[in-house]
Formats: sequence, C-alpha cells, structure tokens
Amino acid sequence: MPRFAFLVHPLTGFHRRVVGVRRADWSMAVGGEGRGEPGVICNLTVEGIAEGVVVSVPLLPEPLLTDQQAALEAMVRAVEVAREALGGLDAVGLGSLLAVVAGRGGALAERVDMPVTTGAAATTWAAVENTVAVMETLGQRRVAVLGFAGTVGEGVAAALGARGYEVVAGGSGRAMERQAKKLGVELSTPEAAAGSARVVVGASTTGGILAPEALAPGTVLLDIALPPTLKPGRRPEGVQVLAGEAVALPEGWRKGFWGTIYHWLSYGHNQAYACLMEPIVLSVVGRDTPYAQGRRLKPNALEDFRRDARALSLRPRLARGWSEVRPQALLTGPAG
Amino acid sequence: MSALPQHVDSAIYEKVVYCFAEALGLDEDEVAYDSLVIDDLGAESLDLLDIAFRLERTFDIKIPRGGIETAAQKALDDGDPYEVDGVLTERGRTVLADAMPEIPREEFREGLKSVEVALLFRVATFYRLVMELIAQKAAT
Repeated sequence: MPRFAFLVHPLTGFHRRVVGVRRADWSMAVGGEGRGEPGVICNLTVEGIAEGVVVSVPLLPEPLLTDQQAALEAMVRAVEVAREALGGLDAVGLGSLLAVVAGRGGALAERVDMPVTTGAAATTWAAVENTVAVMETLGQRRVAVLGFAGTVGEGVAAALGARGYEVVAGGSGRAMERQAKKLGVELSTPEAAAGSARVVVGASTTGGILAPEALAPGTVLLDIALPPTLKPGRRPEGVQVLAGEAVALPEGWRKGFWGTIYHWLSYGHNQAYACLMEPIVLSVVGRDTPYAQGRRLKPNALEDFRRDARALSLRPRLARGWSEVRPQALLTGPAG
Repeated sequence: MSALPQHVDSAIYEKVVYCFAEALGLDEDEVAYDSLVIDDLGAESLDLLDIAFRLERTFDIKIPRGGIETAAQKALDDGDPYEVDGVLTERGRTVLADAMPEIPREEFREGLKSVEVALLFRVATFYRLVMELIAQKAAT
C-alpha cells in the first residue's frame, strides 16, 4: 500500500505542549525544551488506498526561521522516523512553515531521495474550488485575491482568471504589475481590492495586509492563512470568514485516538486542509515529481493535482474554521 | 538597469544571482545588480528567508537574522535611538545609509519607517553582505 508522511511543527507553545504529552516527553509537555527530536504524533489511513503518519518537528516558528539548516536536519530525521514507522515511504508533504524554510522543499528532497511536496498545488486547488462555489452561490463575477505575490495567491488569481472571473489582485510594485498584466488581472492596493469585491480570497497572512474594516459589508472572505491572522472584531456587518483550503475527508479515513486529537487541534473532526492531501495523492498516484516545490507552481501542476484528486474522489468543502456547516446554510446563516 | 560595477567579483556575483533566481522562480537574466528585491523582483518576506538560506549554503556563511539592521543598531553605541515609534531617527538613517552604500542616500528620507527599509534592498545589498561575510570568515 502507498505510504506517505506529513511533517508538521507546533505553531504555538500550547501545540508544542500537546506534542510533549503525546510523546511522553514531560519536559516538553510543561513548556521546556524536551528531547527536541521529531516523532510520530498520529497515524492517518485511507482504508485500502494509503497509509501514513503525521510527524512533528518540535520547533516553533522562531527557531525554524532563525536556523534553517537546523530545521532541515530536523526534517531529515523526521523523514527517517516516518520511514521506520511505516516500513518504507513513498512521498513526503510539508505543513506550515516547513513548506517554506530550507528552500521550499528542495533541500529536503535532495537529502531523502523521494518526492517532497509543499502542498501549494492542493491549497491552490481547494481555494479555487471553494471560491468558485461561493461565487456561483452568490452569483458574483468579481473576486479579489490578496497575497498575489505568493505562490498560492498567484496560482489562485491565474486559475480564477482562466475560468472567466473578473479578478482584482491586491498588491503593488513593478514585479506584480508585470505579473498582473501577464495574467490579465487588475491590480490594486489590498484595501481597495478587498473593498471592491463581495468575495475575497486571502492567500497570505491576511491579517498582516488587511484591516477587517476594509472589507465591504456582506463580504465572504476565504482565508487560507493558518493559523487565521485576521483580527477579530471591527468587521463590517455580514462579513463571513471561511477556511479557504478546507477539504472533505475521503471515504475510509481512519485517524485513531491521536489522529482525532490532531484533527481537533488542526482542522476539525471531519475535514482537513488541502496541503495534507497532497502527499497522499502523490503516494497513491506514484509520481516521481512533486506537485509543488519551490517558489512557483509549474505549468500543469494545478491541473495534474485536480485530475488526480478527483480520481480519488477528494473534494474541497466550504467550512467556517473547523465547524461543520453545509454550504447553503453557511452563506445564508449568521455571520461568523 | 546599470552595468555591473568594475569592483564586482563576477564569479561570486553569478552565484548570488543564481540564488535569487532559484528562490524567486525567475530566469537569471531577470535579476540585475541594482534590482530592487521586493519591487522589481517581487520577493515577499518569506522569500527573503529563502534567499538568505540559499546564500548561506552556497557560500558557507551565516547571515545573522535581521543582519543589516541589527548591525546598524549596534553601531549606535552612544545611546542615540535608532527609531522612535517605528520611524527611523536621523542618526538611524545615517548609520543605515553608511552601512548600505549601494543604496542612494536620498532614499533614506525623513519619515522612513523601519519596516520599509527592506523595500530599499537591492541585489547589490546581498552581494555586498556576502562579500563581507566571506572576508570575515577568511580573517578568522
């Protein structure tokens, strides 16, 4: 059976303590340094299709960003942990900042002799499909894409533009002007872009580039930032924030006790974020090359992932954070 | 974009350009010595980390986190503030301009915020930093 690993790291001190409890590393559990070694935090299996593990690299964002070489060495050890746990390994996915540090997956791939994928193709796919679902439900044609300078933002803007939507990208600078012209999308400041469309995609650390009050009343924001960065409060009336990269769990998803804990702390009990699906699909399809690695999505990466994900019956889902809501109720119910 | 200055070591510079191109997904001929890293090349904050990582590996050096600004702040050892409420003081701007001679001095304008300093970075800024760190390593 195809075997995958998904490497994650704690986003906060609280998450790190939970990992300490899981691994019976009591120093880490009470906020200390702990043993500092990567370890399995749960098994995730798609019955009859693939089996895998989530492995924690126990580094918080600050040390990850400060010493990327050390982060790389920890990721290499994490892959070995996964390989031992599963008796072999076919693909590796990277979560959160692990997908960014150490050459965006490239340096790890050089060391571990297997496809390493960053999740950017799956995230872009989910964001595009979720956005289209919202656009069609609300009857909208104009959409703002923030974080246009990034891999996912650029991919989302390009894909929505190719589907005929009127895209306004948030950003500035000569490089973004060139890129916007190349893709045939409008470019404006993030505030002006967000205020000009009822559907907004936040493909970056949205809270860092957008004040909530810049959104027009009744806006639906599909936020991809994890953890969410848009500040609560001061949102205009009717603004709804949805998880932009949420996907429904495949049939036969088995997560066990610690997998359930992982889901509750990360995604919600009956959904996941798309980046987790990328190594699963990669391992099942048996591709030698990752869907995403490095700064930009390669031509056809998004289409390849869309095709392969559909073959496995994976589908994005509209959701508000980790809560379970049906799309129609989500878009007509009270603001979150 | 100007031609490469005569003092530039082309072998080192070509490797710097390669690091930028790889980190940003650009062709090497899109990267020029005086390119603004954010405005011209489209780098975002996480890209700066990736560029630093690639330079460190390529040249076996260690770029201190926030290296350029941190060095400038340390240069103010007489207690003068570097910034007030996020805005660079006159001394802060002078120290930064001295530390980054490849950036035209007039760009260190009054009212410049510390978060805006990265907007002034050129490829040349990283090239110079690499050369300084190589020299430091050789001296030790």
